[in-house]
Amino acid sequence: MIRAKFLFVTKMSDKTDVWQGTLALMALKTLEVMGPLHGYGIARRIEQTSGGLLSINYGTLYPALLKLEQEGYISSEWGVSDNNRKAKYYKLTRAGRKRLAKEAREWEKTTAILARFFAPEQES
Amino acid sequence: MGIRQLRGWLARLAGLFNQEKRNREFAEELESHLQMHTEDNLRAGLTPEEARRQAIIKLGGVEPAKEKYRRQRGLPLIEMLVQDLRYGLRMLIKRPSFTVIAVISLALGIGANTAIFSLVNTMVLRPLPVERPEQLVALQNEAGLKVSMAFSYPNYKDFRDRNDVFAGLIGYRFAPLSVSHDGVNEKLWGYIVTGNYFDLLGVKAALGRVISPDDDRLPGAHPVTVLSYKCWLQRFGADPGIIGKSLIANGRSFTIIGVAPRGFFGTEFIAAPELWFPMAMQGEIEMGAPWLDRRGVEQTYVQGRLKSGVSAAQAQAALNSIALQLESEYPDVNQGKRVVVSPPGLMSGMLRGQALGFVGILMAVVAFALLLACANLANLLLARAVERRKEIAVRLSLGASRRRVVWQLLTESMLLALGGGAFGLLLAYWLVNLAVGAKLPIDFPILIDLHIDYRVLVFTFLMSFVTGVLFGLLPALQTTKVELLTALKDEPSFGGAHRSWWKSCLIVLQVALSLMILVSGGLMLRALQRAQTINLGFTPRNAIEVSFDLRLQGYDNARGREFQKRLLERVRALPGAQSAGIVDLAPVDLHFTGALVFIEGQTPERIANAPRAMASRISPGYLRAMNTRLRQGRDFTERDDERAPRVAIINETFARRFWPGQNPLGKRFSQGSPQSPMMQVIGVVEDGKYNWLSAEPQPYVCRPLSQAYSGATTVIVRAATDPQKLLAVVRNEVQRLDPHMPITSRLLVEKMALPLLPARLAAAVLGGFGLLALALAAIGIYGVMSHAVSRRTHEIGVRMAMGAQASDILRLTLGQGITLALIGVAIGLSVALALTRLMKTLLFGVSATDPLTYSGVTALLIGVALAACYIPARRATKIDPIVALRYE
Repeated sequence: MIRAKFLFVTKMSDKTDVWQGTLALMALKTLEVMGPLHGYGIARRIEQTSGGLLSINYGTLYPALLKLEQEGYISSEWGVSDNNRKAKYYKLTRAGRKRLAKEAREWEKTTAILARFFAPEQES
Repeated sequence: MGIRQLRGWLARLAGLFNQEKRNREFAEELESHLQMHTEDNLRAGLTPEEARRQAIIKLGGVEPAKEKYRRQRGLPLIEMLVQDLRYGLRMLIKRPSFTVIAVISLALGIGANTAIFSLVNTMVLRPLPVERPEQLVALQNEAGLKVSMAFSYPNYKDFRDRNDVFAGLIGYRFAPLSVSHDGVNEKLWGYIVTGNYFDLLGVKAALGRVISPDDDRLPGAHPVTVLSYKCWLQRFGADPGIIGKSLIANGRSFTIIGVAPRGFFGTEFIAAPELWFPMAMQGEIEMGAPWLDRRGVEQTYVQGRLKSGVSAAQAQAALNSIALQLESEYPDVNQGKRVVVSPPGLMSGMLRGQALGFVGILMAVVAFALLLACANLANLLLARAVERRKEIAVRLSLGASRRRVVWQLLTESMLLALGGGAFGLLLAYWLVNLAVGAKLPIDFPILIDLHIDYRVLVFTFLMSFVTGVLFGLLPALQTTKVELLTALKDEPSFGGAHRSWWKSCLIVLQVALSLMILVSGGLMLRALQRAQTINLGFTPRNAIEVSFDLRLQGYDNARGREFQKRLLERVRALPGAQSAGIVDLAPVDLHFTGALVFIEGQTPERIANAPRAMASRISPGYLRAMNTRLRQGRDFTERDDERAPRVAIINETFARRFWPGQNPLGKRFSQGSPQSPMMQVIGVVEDGKYNWLSAEPQPYVCRPLSQAYSGATTVIVRAATDPQKLLAVVRNEVQRLDPHMPITSRLLVEKMALPLLPARLAAAVLGGFGLLALALAAIGIYGVMSHAVSRRTHEIGVRMAMGAQASDILRLTLGQGITLALIGVAIGLSVALALTRLMKTLLFGVSATDPLTYSGVTALLIGVALAACYIPARRATKIDPIVALRYE
């Protein structure tokens, strides 16, 4: 059974939730790749990674980060940025890593299934 | 997943607190975000201003970002609630007079409901303190119209042994006791119970053991007793070594074998006897009157535990087939006797109907009062709605949804209701303590066991909640149904017909309700007034009674007579005593019983059909001490002794009923059975009241104590001046003759308080509520009328400008209010006429349709309504047409 809660299977009706969930997953992946990072950095990185296809409203990122933190997937602390600016840095926790791994697996399964549907038909 | 989500919720719950710091922290985070973004934009070649602007745009605005963040941080629903509560509190504090009136009227309403509910809780909802109380039923002995809770002991044994529907049947009976222990003499009440009593009820001893079937085998052979927990605590200082000690009860020594568990008071809710004795000791406890082997003496109360799967109706059918057998076996005493199964706890259902009726009326009255308070509050809220129209229109036009505003308004009424509920609970607590602490003027351990337990608390909470919705919802809906433009422009709305229709209904309801309550209260007052003028057949004022039981103290007849004679001589010699006499039981007393009488030459077909007469045994001088008037013949004298011819004094009803149109003097009859020796009527006294005040005139007969001895002794002394002082003196005389005699004594006036108690209570409760209701109705009428006047200011201005006189305006506005009041009066009168019939037994012969009460209350209500209308109407006449027209 595939539970792609963070994608779009559940709560299809509530658009903000879908977006929030997807955004949260992207933020988790970003933190895994980049290590500890501040909110602005995460936002820029997501945009970059999407190759400019995704333009996010930065303001929506923070509630998503807060939710992840409330649920214990990430932690935060104040630090100093490259150009000596005070900034809040987010870091993946162990629960976050596990969650990410699980979501990745489920994502792969989902895409694999969907791929079969959308792949050009081979038999016939 | 569950744990993570829970963690999330907890974090959000924590997010409700310390908001300021969290806000600051997020503002800092945003600021650092913006700065970093701005720097990047600068590097990309934008001007400083444009760089910052673009950063903010990309963020989607600073404040929206903050708002979204806040929503995720805490729990918006709770925050909204807190916000509403805060706002509501502010609004309530801003209008303290409104808030105080609302909370007080609700507190009175809810408090009274809570107090009465605790009574219902005690009498109806709470189970008896036994194992599996739902299986327990009580048996009633029914012979035609006569229902009693007592069976003869041999019949009880047959029912017990022959039935196959009960796991067991127990028998018990109250017993008055004279108990001596550790040098203390006390008059107490106990139970005599069958050996299976504790076992069947599933009650285990707290200490020692309980009475077992082995303690109930041979009459007179088991002198053992079990103490109630309270008795052990209060009278024996919770002595842990009590088991095996002994006490003297009714002149015989009993060994204490155990202490009953805390909270066990037997199987009657209203009584709390302190000792239990085996039924086999009946002859010793009730000295000189053994009835265990007498099928004609019905003294045993019976309860049973149904076998599982057997219904009460099946049990009743099974018992009645046994009753049929008993009828054919012992036709002389069991003729026509049937068994009725009823719920236990209120004297086998004998008291159940009355108790439930009384409580039901009280409950209905307090519910009405609360309804009234609700109606009134709804009215006040509607009147306020006009004042708040602008505020609400502003909120609605700023984008608040109607639901949101209704929610806010309901929060306010909930606050009022819960505040009222909290104060109401305090009030109920106080009332309940008052009731528990009240000392009833009776010689019986009445158990007033009222508690504010969890059921009562839940009831109060629900009551407050429902109340809040009841008075809050309608005004909230009405208030939010405004047309924004007119409201904002401060225009009086002319289209308010439906709104005032509701208010008119509420006014009518209030007037009707207060009229009903006031009529009931007025009837009670009239009844009390009537009670003062009831011909009692004696004069309580200045008389005292001192009673004791010589039999319980072990006196035989000869010693008892001697005691009574010597005491009477001493009392008569006292300087403050005008006259004195002895009676077995002084009226008015519920224990007063009748005896069968057999008139010479008027033999009834069956013994059971013989007429009954109230019976007393009196000494010479008693009638004079009671100030009972002798209509014919003579009083007893010292010469009417054992050797003299048997004589009797009867009352007028006796004479009228049995010898109509004849001279009763010299006529003969016997008492108890047709074989008893005849006695001759030597005197006729006035009619009186014997067992209760509202009784119809009953036949009554007195016999001289010298010819019909009784150990139960009540000395009646009429004082020349100060009866209070005489009490102690007479008690002293008794103590000097026997220092161990337990005595009760009181003024006869005090004794009369008991039969009047229900009426007095009802009058106080109804009167109090009636006045409250009247005040509320007056406030309601005033509120609505002044609102109506202010809404019609414009119209009135136009009328006056067109030449209407002040008197026309007065008539116009007064007319509206008075019409409503009159409709309310009409409805109230018709409902009151129907309802007050239920109060008949409390009215002492005052008609339930007493015209004085009805017209008085109606006049009072119309007067109050007029006054309440007059103030706003008068204000209407003072309206200056120029101001009123320009106001728009």
